[in-house]
Amino acid sequence: MSEPSGEWQRLDPRMLLVLPVRELVRFLPVLLAIFVAGTASGRTDWWHGLGIAIPVGLGLLRYLTTFFRITATRVELRRGLLNRHLLSTPLDRVRTVDLTASPTHRVLGLTTVRIGTGTASTDDEDHLDLDGLPVERARELRAELLHLATADAAAGTTPERDDRLVVRFDPAWVRFAPFTSTGLALAAGAVGVAVQAVNTLGGFQRLDTQGLAEDASGWSVWLALPLALVGLLVVVTALAVGGYVVTNWAFSLTHAGPEGHGAWHLRRGLLTTRETSLDDERVSGVRLAQPLGLRVARGARVSAIVTGLDREESGSALLAPPCPRAVATDVAAEVLRTDAPLSAALVDHGPAARRRRYTRALVPTAVVVAAVAVLVGLDLLPGWWLVVVVLLPAAVLLAGDRAAALGHALVDGHLVARSGSLDRRHEALATRGVIGWNLRASWFQRRAGLTTLVATTAGGPQAVTVLDVPLDVAVALAHDAQPDLVSQFLDGPPLVSPETIATAT
Amino acid sequence: MQLREPSRRVSPRARLMWATTAALEAVLLVAVVAVAGPVSGWLPLPWWLVVLLGVVAAAYVVVMPVWRYRVHRWEVTDTAVYTQTGWWVRERRIAPMSRIQTVDHGEGAVARLFGLATVTVTTASAAGALEIVGLERDGALALAEQLAVRADTVPGDAT
Repeated sequence: MSEPSGEWQRLDPRMLLVLPVRELVRFLPVLLAIFVAGTASGRTDWWHGLGIAIPVGLGLLRYLTTFFRITATRVELRRGLLNRHLLSTPLDRVRTVDLTASPTHRVLGLTTVRIGTGTASTDDEDHLDLDGLPVERARELRAELLHLATADAAAGTTPERDDRLVVRFDPAWVRFAPFTSTGLALAAGAVGVAVQAVNTLGGFQRLDTQGLAEDASGWSVWLALPLALVGLLVVVTALAVGGYVVTNWAFSLTHAGPEGHGAWHLRRGLLTTRETSLDDERVSGVRLAQPLGLRVARGARVSAIVTGLDREESGSALLAPPCPRAVATDVAAEVLRTDAPLSAALVDHGPAARRRRYTRALVPTAVVVAAVAVLVGLDLLPGWWLVVVVLLPAAVLLAGDRAAALGHALVDGHLVARSGSLDRRHEALATRGVIGWNLRASWFQRRAGLTTLVATTAGGPQAVTVLDVPLDVAVALAHDAQPDLVSQFLDGPPLVSPETIATAT
Repeated sequence: MQLREPSRRVSPRARLMWATTAALEAVLLVAVVAVAGPVSGWLPLPWWLVVLLGVVAAAYVVVMPVWRYRVHRWEVTDTAVYTQTGWWVRERRIAPMSRIQTVDHGEGAVARLFGLATVTVTTASAAGALEIVGLERDGALALAEQLAVRADTVPGDAT
């Protein structure tokens, strides 16, 4: 392979087609201004051509001044003509290699390689992006950077070309899209942009509110409201499906290299494709998310808890988009290399924890309802405000669901915790990935004999939380997970719990 | 199975430090509500509500430092750091020595008045920083030094 030669090399020459166009787009507002000024004055001066020549020149310069090299120990990227910029990182700090290809890149057979080192910097300048390499070359580079090739060589086998496919996108999964909150978020975003645009153009001043009100008075509320709701539903559903398809089309999860020392490859995207790789050694757990909507549709999505991933990239660790629950658990079991953690029966948190779910849901609701009742009684609010009473049964249902979710387990070297209703989470974290324990209890929790056990980790959500467990159970759980660490802080003589004996024999 | 409390208390002067900070905050809050409110008229509160607020703030200044001092404890062993902090919400944190990433010695403005300092131990998790507030200044420096040396002697990249 030509990579480790240590020579400075340029990006792919086909980037000469991409970069000037990109600069032109960036200069578009200036170009428009020049064009408008030119038409207004009725003549075209020679310098108007500069508006096009400068961006194109900048694009060419960007290509000519960008070099990268891969030596035996480091990856280096050098760029800039006046402001010289040299990015350099040791090879053993490389944690992720992402390949992203925009539609333009795809047409030209190119892809952008982003080399992730787990940096906390959010500045785009500080990222090691090799923008524009041929796809094949990029894949070779990735295998090399993630030591897949060397691992194969060490094992004395030829590098496997066809990776093991774990899950592939099924168009039928699109049915889960309407049950996610993506549609709502997209719709809210669209409304926000539209309102801002109308506002900037002074549309609200010209809006004929009087006329609108008169037009609307011809409509019955009983006709207008359902129509508006149906319309909203259709729009939100369409947006959700659209967003889902654009992001997740052609999703696939494959495993490359030897079991346990290879890497997971994730690929997805309809227009811009993204390929992410996760080192086996850095995947320390999974999170199965089942928000209420997805649970109703019997779906789930899975993400990986990856240590050392950039925080802003935590989204890229999605192992399966919203899909049938069975598929999601299969993927989780594959990635954990055991299906025990997510299929094991969970230990109940007991009556005190369940009672706490009800008090926490009901007390604030009851306060709100009582306040409204008083205000209505004093004639300070119109009577229809009393509909807030429906919050009470809703709170009971929510509390019931939250209580049913509570559970934890320590199975096969994994700490498992489940909680939540609207955002039900079922997490499994390998105990080797736990880098600390927090036991947190408010005065109310202490009175109920409960505590919240948090296992901290360097990856993804930063922690796995076991909500409201009895104190002795929490301590036993932490002790069984990491006896060497916790036993020195136990009260009284060191004890051996029944569970430890069970796993030892 | 129960955890015992960490073995060492923080400096008794920490109570004064917490009381001073709380008193400054309380005086500022009550002053804003009692003076700025009536003068500008944007916060029309009845006088008894202001008095009530003052009483609550005074109770906070008296009770919180004592309670907090009873809770705050710490311990460093060969393999781990163990802290207990808080007052209304009590939190115990254990971090293995092998996972320590940085050791930080800090002295706030009020803490300096009392010759106190804070030692913060971070791990690779954003949820896992251990903070020991209200240590004697010299003791804190020695502790930070000792922790840094011990964390260095354990191999691995702490993730």
